[in-house]
Amino acid sequence: MSERASLTIADGCATILLRRAEARNALDCDTIDALRQCIDAAATECDSKRGTVRTLVLAGEGKSFCAGMDLKGVLHDAARMGDMLRGLSSALLALRRLPVPTIARVQGAAIGGGCGLAVVCDFAITHPEAKLGYPEVDLGVCPAVVAPWLVRRIGAGPARSMLLTGGTMSGDEAAARGLVTSCVAAADLDAEVAALTARLSTGGAEALACTKRMLNELDGSLDERIAVEAAELSARVIAGPEAQTSLSRLFASKPQGGPAVPPPR
Amino acid sequence: MEDQQQVILQRTGRLLTVTLNDPRRRNALGTALFDSLERALDAVTASAGDEQPSVVVLAANGSAFCSGFDLEACVHDTALLPTLVDRLGRLTAQIRALPAVVVAQVQGAALAGGCALVMSCDIVHASADATFGYPVHRIGVSPAVNLPVLLATAGLGAARRIALSGEIISANCAASLGMVHRIHADERTLHEEVAALAQSLCAKGPHALRATKAWLNRVDGTDSSGALGSAAARAAQATIAVCSTSHSRSMLESFWQQRRSRP
Repeated sequence: MSERASLTIADGCATILLRRAEARNALDCDTIDALRQCIDAAATECDSKRGTVRTLVLAGEGKSFCAGMDLKGVLHDAARMGDMLRGLSSALLALRRLPVPTIARVQGAAIGGGCGLAVVCDFAITHPEAKLGYPEVDLGVCPAVVAPWLVRRIGAGPARSMLLTGGTMSGDEAAARGLVTSCVAAADLDAEVAALTARLSTGGAEALACTKRMLNELDGSLDERIAVEAAELSARVIAGPEAQTSLSRLFASKPQGGPAVPPPR
Repeated sequence: MEDQQQVILQRTGRLLTVTLNDPRRRNALGTALFDSLERALDAVTASAGDEQPSVVVLAANGSAFCSGFDLEACVHDTALLPTLVDRLGRLTAQIRALPAVVVAQVQGAALAGGCALVMSCDIVHASADATFGYPVHRIGVSPAVNLPVLLATAGLGAARRIALSGEIISANCAASLGMVHRIHADERTLHEEVAALAQSLCAKGPHALRATKAWLNRVDGTDSSGALGSAAARAAQATIAVCSTSHSRSMLESFWQQRRSRP
């Protein structure tokens, strides 16, 4: 398995760790591939050792959970850009399909596609100083891939307002607006995640799997067509002159590379 | 009879502000107001390139945003109410499909048709005194015409409650149901914050905004081919059928009599 992400299983809890701390776990092609392999491996573990894996925690190494899509390397390569967005869209769907409850442990930042990862999980826990949100439209980018998941999380009306307004928000505000399920002091983040995994592990594994499957069916999570269309649309908008100009300008001002995160509003 | 403009249009760069301007009648939706609104939105849809606004603010002059249909006119003209329902259905669909982000700036009452207008907008800012709801059963009218958009905005449970109860809810309650996205302490703050929001929206890429709005319509089913979009036409027909009955007419007339006799 690639070093960009790892899967470990201990005491019935699977943990997928994004391991690109030097770029705040920004999602480039390799990281998305590695994440996908971890998700698939976790699914296999859940199936083969039925009832022994009870929960999955998605976390990021270093200061930030995930700073978003790393578009720098693929900006002028429409084919690879499309692959990357399709890869993310399909990984989000695979993550949603896992038969165990999933928890995102969100420290530092969860931006754009990174926020998408947190919102696809059944639970997301963050701290007040964290920065979350979808600043895509600020960069001329369309948040098509993450939009359906946000709609399923906070409802269509609030999702519409959030995605069209762009920008980012604090962990507190993210909790108030339903983006994450709870917000605790940064020092208590691990304890809160542990408490939730412990609590979820006491429920019947089959009952939880059945409940999650039903919720996924009811809220349209399993709609693969939407996921594919979303990736195509997002790729098309990024390939357009508006996004190309604004992203090129952003990358030129940040020669170190890394994720596409605009300055806070 | 028209001694003033029913709708004031103000264009600043990519921003178009559409202000309902019949405060004396609490911006009640009648033929002239519909005419003006339709003309304004048609012009947005027909424009192209830099001419096309990327942001539209829907605002209102006076103490109320919009109190619903012009009931006085409906009492005098028996054929009017079904026509207004039909036009409201088309207008809200047009707002939803507009290739610009539409921000509602709401003070005071946004009731019945007024609430329908607000629900079809993309982003809703309100002052703390704003009220929302569909108190239309008492005049024998159904809010069905606006249900598809209300459902998409507020979700199943809230839509059922609001549409069936006819209750008038506060801005806070509307925010908790997802119908309002930001509340401001007073009207002045509301104006300032909406102006700041409009400015920030205008600074974003218009192509990305248009694509994102269209995609959200696709995702929540309110685009014309989606489940809710195609339900809109049926909902309008159902609403028209209800308000065309003689029972509905007599309810409207007695409601109006009572209102007129009120001190």
